[in-house]
Amino acid sequence: MWTRQENIPESGLKEHPHVRIGRYALVRNTVFLGLTAVVLAGFLVNIPRINILEHTARNLYFHVPMWFTMMAAVGVSGYHSFRLLQTGSLIRDIRAMQAARVGAWFGVLGLLTGIIWSKFTWYVGTDVWWNFDPRQTMASLQLLIYGAYFVLRSALEDPDRRAKIAAVYNLFAATTTPFLLYVIPRQLESLHPGAEGNPAFSEITEPVMRLIFYPAIIGFIGLFWVLYTQRVRIAWIKYRVSRDPEL
Amino acid sequence: MIWLSGAWAVFEKDLRLELRSRYAINMLIMFVLSSLLLVALAIGQDAVSTKMQSALLWIVILFSASIGLGRTFVGEEERGTVLILQLSVPGSQVFAGKLAFNFFLLLCVNLIGVLVFVFLLNLDITHVGLLATTLLLGSLGLAGATTMLSAIIARTTNVGPLLPVLLFPLLIPLLLSVVSAGENALAGGLGWAESTSDLTTLAAFAGVVITASVLLFDFVWND
Repeated sequence: MWTRQENIPESGLKEHPHVRIGRYALVRNTVFLGLTAVVLAGFLVNIPRINILEHTARNLYFHVPMWFTMMAAVGVSGYHSFRLLQTGSLIRDIRAMQAARVGAWFGVLGLLTGIIWSKFTWYVGTDVWWNFDPRQTMASLQLLIYGAYFVLRSALEDPDRRAKIAAVYNLFAATTTPFLLYVIPRQLESLHPGAEGNPAFSEITEPVMRLIFYPAIIGFIGLFWVLYTQRVRIAWIKYRVSRDPEL
Repeated sequence: MIWLSGAWAVFEKDLRLELRSRYAINMLIMFVLSSLLLVALAIGQDAVSTKMQSALLWIVILFSASIGLGRTFVGEEERGTVLILQLSVPGSQVFAGKLAFNFFLLLCVNLIGVLVFVFLLNLDITHVGLLATTLLLGSLGLAGATTMLSAIIARTTNVGPLLPVLLFPLLIPLLLSVVSAGENALAGGLGWAESTSDLTTLAAFAGVVITASVLLFDFVWND
């Protein structure tokens, strides 16, 4: 079975994902323990009851880190697409693809938590579920772009060509998205904190919330990292066996 | 100058092929006509706000572009002329020639689309220059994105309806700006003064898309 390794193109073997299992396990276990602590603290620690917001404020620990994580994933995916065009080694394609895939899941979770949260706070008493809030629009567009990216990948059969073309699309899409930062806020009103005259944290925010919020960001990005590296190694093994990194 | 003459040769070749068969231009015109007729019939006699008129016009243009311009590079693959083109001129000239040809096609589509729209939906244009500028800049960005993506889909196995899927998520900034600038150009619109930021966005979008395409095109073309 392993004799098939000889058929692997030279470019694919150059960058082998070396994993130091000891260090990997240490980081992974820290992430798992830390996230468990964050989730427990998020649900159990007492927070002030603010009108309308009430206990939904706890969503801060989940909804916001999802966005941070998706942005990190978009960055990782774009970086590896860029490196693929430079080096042509297939491990970069696997990394870009898996970062996009795991990042898209975080994006979906962020969107869902955001929709539910807004339904019970901003739009309470109305029938509104979806509003074209700038950040909501941008996140759903990023998901659409990744959807198109996956569709494009499935339309390409040769792994080397797929890697190249998909990387080009990923980077091409990344050049147009910054326009949204400029265009959308002028056309749509935002209710999100962090916009004009509406700070992300105000003085009535309980200090303990920050103590849980910041570790939650690190924890969810860590969770992304664990899932992402795991998927990269699975895809790499699959590539070595079948010469096709798609899972 | 040599660079320009190479790009011009590609453009001239496409134009000549097009004039022989008139496939793309006829299809685009028919698509625009029939979809505008559908829009007009669906709306009926009701008055439509200028925002809606601008949005409908641009949605028709976007769809016709995504259907009509997708064949730019697929045609080369089908005729088996990719290799000879790769040998004759560098990639950037091929891209420039194809971009110019697509831009030309889009301008025809815009012209016909606007004329038919004026006729069918009683479009009242106050700022003609503003509408023309918007259409010009919007078409440039649209042609840039479409040319690049049609080069991408020419490399795939199931070409079919892939272009709209890849194209539309990228065009949202363009769409938002052209619709709002187009609205300003119609009756009761705000005119030039309020449209400068939209026009800047459109020009910047076209510039960035075309620059990124020129940088990335060789990876797709010399595959």
